[in-house]
Amino acid sequence: MRVVVLLSAGRHPVSGRAILPPLEAQAIAMALALDPHCYGLHAGCTPDGVADAPGYGLPSLDLLTIDADVDPVPALAADLSKRKPDLIVAGRRGQGGNDTGLLPYALAEALHLPLLNDIVSAAQEDSDGMGRFEQALPKGAKRRVTMLLPAIVTVHPLAPAAAPFAYAKARRGTIEFREGPSGEAAPGLFETRSRRARPKLMRQADAESDGGGAAIIDPDPDDAARMIVDYLERLGVRRLRNEASRTTDHRD
Amino acid sequence: MRIDRASHSVGLVGGPGREEAVAFEANVRIVDEPAFTVLAVLGASNGRLSRFDRQILGAGRLLADAGEGGGAVIAVLPQAADGLGEAGADRAIIRGGGDFADVAGRAEAFLALDRTLTPRHWLFAENGPEADLARRMAIRLKEPILTDVEHLTARQAVRASHGGLREEAGPPPRLMTIQEDRVASYADRPCEARLLDAQTVSADATDSAIVESEIVPGDPSSMALAEADFVVSAGNGVSDFDAFHRLAAALKATPGASRVVCDAGLMPREAQVGASGTVLSADCYFALGIAGAPQHLQGIAGCEHVIAVNTDLHAAMVERAGLAIVQDAQKVMPALLHLLREGET
Repeated sequence: MRVVVLLSAGRHPVSGRAILPPLEAQAIAMALALDPHCYGLHAGCTPDGVADAPGYGLPSLDLLTIDADVDPVPALAADLSKRKPDLIVAGRRGQGGNDTGLLPYALAEALHLPLLNDIVSAAQEDSDGMGRFEQALPKGAKRRVTMLLPAIVTVHPLAPAAAPFAYAKARRGTIEFREGPSGEAAPGLFETRSRRARPKLMRQADAESDGGGAAIIDPDPDDAARMIVDYLERLGVRRLRNEASRTTDHRD
Repeated sequence: MRIDRASHSVGLVGGPGREEAVAFEANVRIVDEPAFTVLAVLGASNGRLSRFDRQILGAGRLLADAGEGGGAVIAVLPQAADGLGEAGADRAIIRGGGDFADVAGRAEAFLALDRTLTPRHWLFAENGPEADLARRMAIRLKEPILTDVEHLTARQAVRASHGGLREEAGPPPRLMTIQEDRVASYADRPCEARLLDAQTVSADATDSAIVESEIVPGDPSSMALAEADFVVSAGNGVSDFDAFHRLAAALKATPGASRVVCDAGLMPREAQVGASGTVLSADCYFALGIAGAPQHLQGIAGCEHVIAVNTDLHAAMVERAGLAIVQDAQKVMPALLHLLREGET
């Protein structure tokens, strides 16, 4: 199985120093488990930050040089359609650029590939041309997916931790510079400015919540138990009774 | 004996008595001929609106009320849910399909919806499947999208970029995903939440590349406390921890504990709820034998529903709870276990 890891130039959120985004280090670890000869791909103007990738175990790295502010999707799509990897692994969001998380989707559209987001594990299916993935869902749920390859997957932060950075590996890895297609600098659609920190809303019991409701004094424990279960079921927090008849309908 | 504190402080809307019920009906806010529409895509798993869902509707309400002529907020959700009107939805569309399954197919269905309704805004939660859906739609529609919006007014939407060092701002575009706890939920007169039957979206289109998929629900007993939606917590009033763990498993809740219990080594430190432990984002909190020190109450400030079992009527936790049982937790636990075992058979 031929695997490519898409890499992006990251910025450290505090120091502003060029780094490889931690998610992409996790993506490298996932890709190495599938294909020990996987390679990285980056389209940008400098190797800052991305040059750390070999230190996380990536054997080789291709750098398509394009001008700053040029959309990297055409360059990446042209390269990937030539080399036809089985699996393209990317982080779910960048960290240091636009950070929209749109690039994998744009690439999937350009290459006509299916996309699976937020995966936490990947394995090759025994029969060829298929992969088994685990997708992270809200509230700790997971979705196991068997999918036809080639495909694009994005890595979720809950994926296994990245290998530690090793200086010797960083020195040993090879970086190949290639000229990317030239393009027009795409002006941003929105105004950018330095960030103003805005506090999140305080999490408080809302007006419609039930603080200061009923207090039941010294009930029989069995009555108390029934009241608690009724309350939970009325709120819809848990369906505790007649579970057998209900397990089927929310697993589609 | 039953003390009902709620009856002393009836809110703005409704109350007991028939006259007020009629007034309540008249008080419903109806937008008959909206000048435009705002679509709010809700996760609403298990048929209930989460706080995040209500915030998305709040954002929709904000944009709908600010536009000229007044717009209507249309909630798009997988199954019918309670409290849609109170949360600010004028209309509702039931899209069918599961909570998470097959986002690619759903994106196609939503594109069809986009052509028929031509909404002014689409609002999504920056959360798992909805975030995925929003991005797929942005690419298919070739439209700009502001993702992970952290500040929203009628005039501008702002999101962080460049690793949080810079921000992007502009007038609210048509497609947006909203970050959690950034937009206040709606808290005015209830809206109509009329069901649009004809608009029921079917999600038959499927992602052809996916051969097989299966959803594995999260295991509450091993879930991190911060992401749990229902936490049952033990305090100094609990001495039988074996029964407590069995109760947590039977309730399908994540076990937590107060500082006293963790200090005593009866529960692991990861289970500690409160200012020096985990600040919860759970919907419901069940406190067994916890008096409610201020530091503990800080940890559950975001919990919408609280159930307390405590021997002290004057405990702060009893004051905070929606359902407070003044009784020994050690007696209530076996009764609950017995009741739940009965319910299974």
